[in-house]
Amino acid sequence: MITRDRLIRLCKAREQLGCADPSKSSIDLVAKDAAMSRFHFVRQFKAVFGEAPVQYRMRARLNNAKQLLLNSDRSVTDICMAVGFSSLGSFSSLFAKHFGHPPSTYRRKFSGAVEAHSPHCMTLLRAAWAQQSQNSRSQ
Amino acid sequence: MRIKLSGIFVDDQQKALDFYTDILGFIKTQDIPVGEFRWLQLASPEGGDAELSLEPNANPAAKTFQEALFEQGIPITAFEVDDLESEFKRLSDLGVAFTTEPTNAGAVSIAVFADTCGNLIQIYQHESE
Repeated sequence: MITRDRLIRLCKAREQLGCADPSKSSIDLVAKDAAMSRFHFVRQFKAVFGEAPVQYRMRARLNNAKQLLLNSDRSVTDICMAVGFSSLGSFSSLFAKHFGHPPSTYRRKFSGAVEAHSPHCMTLLRAAWAQQSQNSRSQ
Repeated sequence: MRIKLSGIFVDDQQKALDFYTDILGFIKTQDIPVGEFRWLQLASPEGGDAELSLEPNANPAAKTFQEALFEQGIPITAFEVDDLESEFKRLSDLGVAFTTEPTNAGAVSIAVFADTCGNLIQIYQHESE
């Protein structure tokens, strides 16, 4: 059972892990702020959020990077460091694995195309329906 | 006019698909790639007309809404079950984290768990009369 108090502390921890300032998101620090042992924290975080804190943090950093690529004109290297990655190579390959294109390509392709990078149900449904009708025509 | 489709936001579509199929036991009825996202739709193996879509919370407004409800302990939706106690036990054994254990709430008994994708889900059983 996750008590109300613990749920709130886990939410704060999640926020801290996703924070744009990497110096505030070390696992030890976050666990300490949540008033849990590292072991216990990792286990409970995983039960509630479905992934280990390091995985969540990695995904959050990639999403932070994506927002900066789309909404600022900072360089890719600058963004890589700002969100907490230390190697440009691993940042680029993780980004490509996650979003389908390396950072600079992603920026070129999607800057201004809001529907593509933050779709809503109707965008997705329209695309799904379009594909379905295409499939049924080709059958 | 019929209620056929309802959607919830999830923080990662693959993680959500794994949880909703492998753990909850729903069946995938649609999986259509849309750029870096997918259109995902599920049905219950126990029947019923309505289907559930798992939508990315990539829109910052969706993320804010989802995180605020979760932190306030408010379930995003509810699923009906025949036997609340046995579902509670089955899901707990699979490692699902509950925030409310089976509790009588008048006409229904309810329990609430985290869906691992940023939502609380309520399950409920109608009390027999």
